[in-house]
Amino acid sequence: MNAGDRFAGRFLIPGGLWLLAFFAVPFVIVVALSFGTPGELGGALYGWYPENYSRAFDPVFLPVLLRSVGYAVATVALCLALGYPVAYYIARFGGRHKHVLIALVVMPFFVNYLVRTYAMVALLSDEGVVNGVLGLDDPVRFLNNPFAVIGGLVYGYLAFMILPVYAALDRMDPALIEAGKDLYGSDWSTFWHVTWPTTFQGVLAGTVLVFLPAVGDFVAAQLLGGPGTYMIGNLIQQQFFGAENWPFGAALTVLMMAFLFVWMVLYLRSAARASQEATA
Amino acid sequence: MRSDYFDEPLRRRELLQGGAGLALALGLAGCGVGDEPAGSTKKVAKAKVIKAQPDGDLVYFNWAEYLDPKLIKEFEKRYGVKVRESNFDSMNGMMAKLRSGNRYDLIFPTADWAQRLRAGNQLLRFDKEQLKNTGTVYDYFAKPWYDPTADHTVPYALYASGILYRTDKVEMTGSWNDLALDSARGKTYLLDDYQEVLGAGNFVVGADLNSKDPADIEKSKQWALDLKPKLRGFSTDDIQNLVGGNAWIHHGWNGDVVNVRNQVKKPENYSFQKCSEGLPLGTDCLAIPANAEHPGTALAFIDFILEPENASRNIEYMGYPMPYTGPDETFAELVKTDPSINVKIEDLENGDQFRDLGADGRRLWDDAWTEIKAA
Amino acid sequence: MRWLRVYVGVFFVFLFAPILLVVVFSFNSQRSLQNFEGVSLQWYRAFLENESLRGSLIASLEIAFVTMVVGTVLGTLLAFGLVRARSRWSGSANVLMLVPLVTPEIVAGVSAFLLFTQVGMRLSLVTITLAHITFSISYVTVVVRARLAALNPEVEQAAMDLGATRLDTLRLVVLPALWPAVVAAGLLVFALSFDDFVLSYFTTGESPQPLPVRIWSAIRFGVTPTINAIGTLMLAISALAIVLAIALPRLLGRRESGIGVLLGREGA
Repeated sequence: MNAGDRFAGRFLIPGGLWLLAFFAVPFVIVVALSFGTPGELGGALYGWYPENYSRAFDPVFLPVLLRSVGYAVATVALCLALGYPVAYYIARFGGRHKHVLIALVVMPFFVNYLVRTYAMVALLSDEGVVNGVLGLDDPVRFLNNPFAVIGGLVYGYLAFMILPVYAALDRMDPALIEAGKDLYGSDWSTFWHVTWPTTFQGVLAGTVLVFLPAVGDFVAAQLLGGPGTYMIGNLIQQQFFGAENWPFGAALTVLMMAFLFVWMVLYLRSAARASQEATA
Repeated sequence: MRSDYFDEPLRRRELLQGGAGLALALGLAGCGVGDEPAGSTKKVAKAKVIKAQPDGDLVYFNWAEYLDPKLIKEFEKRYGVKVRESNFDSMNGMMAKLRSGNRYDLIFPTADWAQRLRAGNQLLRFDKEQLKNTGTVYDYFAKPWYDPTADHTVPYALYASGILYRTDKVEMTGSWNDLALDSARGKTYLLDDYQEVLGAGNFVVGADLNSKDPADIEKSKQWALDLKPKLRGFSTDDIQNLVGGNAWIHHGWNGDVVNVRNQVKKPENYSFQKCSEGLPLGTDCLAIPANAEHPGTALAFIDFILEPENASRNIEYMGYPMPYTGPDETFAELVKTDPSINVKIEDLENGDQFRDLGADGRRLWDDAWTEIKAA
Repeated sequence: MRWLRVYVGVFFVFLFAPILLVVVFSFNSQRSLQNFEGVSLQWYRAFLENESLRGSLIASLEIAFVTMVVGTVLGTLLAFGLVRARSRWSGSANVLMLVPLVTPEIVAGVSAFLLFTQVGMRLSLVTITLAHITFSISYVTVVVRARLAALNPEVEQAAMDLGATRLDTLRLVVLPALWPAVVAAGLLVFALSFDDFVLSYFTTGESPQPLPVRIWSAIRFGVTPTINAIGTLMLAISALAIVLAIALPRLLGRRESGIGVLLGREGA
């Protein structure tokens, strides 16, 4: 390690210490509390009560987690299917207006998530705007079902898919596509053999940035969901601001993070590899 | 090389930066340490009587949209203080924030929560003489069950739980089981509130509203679970659900029907049903936490709300009855086409009210509710 | 491809429909979210006259501003360390930096809430800000790092050959080149913090509560169009942040716009 490395290495300290103190340490507290028990007036007492975990494995809760994962997977798939073509169009055909267009795509995401979701409710209600326009006798029940929740999740997290994919597409040398066309002939072959592999890191980043937060979301299910769309995020939130059972909520949080950890490790490995390639 | 010259002080500088970050955090924590959370049983010294006079800005914690903002402005103008408002979205949410050490001057617990807070010495005991305008409050509240000395709370609003419905779409039978009507299948909502749902369930299965008997709760839970496939959702936003046409039948509170009627083209299509198996009643109270920093302002505010003019205006804003003789006419006027929506004093004396369940009871109900929501 | 253009057009319509609803109905003269009766500014007036909502707006802005400044500083430092140092801490620091990006907000909120309450710290704007900073560092690091990695190290080497210290080089060569990325990252963080709900919900103290927390409490029981007015205002503020993100780097004499910088394109 030379003087340059030592010099730069010190720069890791402020940010690193902050993250350690305010991000890593709290996790330890969460784990510690997950073995606790609720206090009399809410709050929690530390102790050794592993029954929080055995309760978390109660068959009643497994469907909630599976459902959350299912919704998140559907959300990713939709974000990719809906977002990739838009990113592609803007990157390839946007020309001078590229930056304006991508900014326009991102702008709706700066209306507060809650307000946006609530706007969906107003739009899609049985006697709301869309049904008013459709004018059917029996209005379409857009809301209060899994599709509405997934739709809300997609609308909430779409930008996190579009931006990394757009970045990857934008960085790609257009000459590659031209060469691909010469080689493969059809547009689809070119896409599949040239564009897709080149932008895969962006797709991966987008997938992770959408999937992991979506699993833990509770707003979409709360505002748009029906009785059968309860997600793990709702369950955890309810333990803190409903049932006052912080230890059980902590146990659920730990389990959820353990589950997501697997996916996180895969992503981190891939991202680390990619950034090494970038800085090489 | 000059770089060596800078290495040493730089190392120290980096350490200082990192150390400063930690020190800052610890220092801030130090400011917080020593503050007792609202859960402490420290009694407020009764040496001096707290007068209903402003002693600082009012830190106010209430449901959203549950007090006329114009009244708040007038209070601020009259007394020259600021009202710093924050909102909770559930009683448990309020409790969580109280529990985490936040200090409020004025809170709005429901009667059963007031009972619980009072028992835990978390409410300020004020001198009744300091409030000038309590004369109009219904006599019932001179010795309410949740505050027998009537010096920890002042009643704020009354509400009844029942079913809001579309008169043009469904035929109701007067029962809680109307929530299961096939004619409204997929257009029905239950309140997203464990107390309301299990309470209604208790009535249906013939139990006490506040039953702590696991057998009763099991049956109520089952009633709710059987209801689930027919439901469109759990929601406390009955107003929007009805206005938006998503709901034909909605478990809800009486005052909300007033709000719904204000927003729709055909108000006559919306009504409220009190159910035969039982009528849960509630009182929202004004209370001052024991660790409030400005209790004088809080008392002044309570007195201000009790002024008949102000109470009447507030009723018009909220759409709920307030238990004060005089202003209650305002609510009667609002619902004159449908007087059954009103909550009268007889209802209070005869009806069932939500009571605090104690730690075990709450755990029982919470667990049942978690299963209802997750199933 | 024609169908692609059509698709993108339809996409924008669906994307903006709820936003348009929010904006249009914020000017509704009636309370309804279904029927538009006439144009009125009453909800904006109600918002501006409501001192406590104004307080919430100011609180949100203050939090976002401090988060932007501190998060940008910490994130930029971290980015420099990650790119330029080959130390045994680099790997762990990298992981530590990436994990917040993929942590569901509810986990973040729960952790922050428990940290502050268990340590005995009173919840307040400070705690919200601390939590926001924690989750903004990673965004800054990622953006700045991409830019940093694309810089030509030979320029810095040349500067040092000419007698500049590492610190001088940092100050006079690297930082100016990095500036657009730092600005863009800062504005991104501002917008994210301003809009944040979950973290704030868990870590908020008595008063004032940031705007999104107030909106949540109102939403649970039915909103008035004041919420729409607030939403529109928030959109305007965030849009301003984005416009600045695009325009500022240009104004500062760079060829690259903020968007390009944010997404890691090699720049001037």
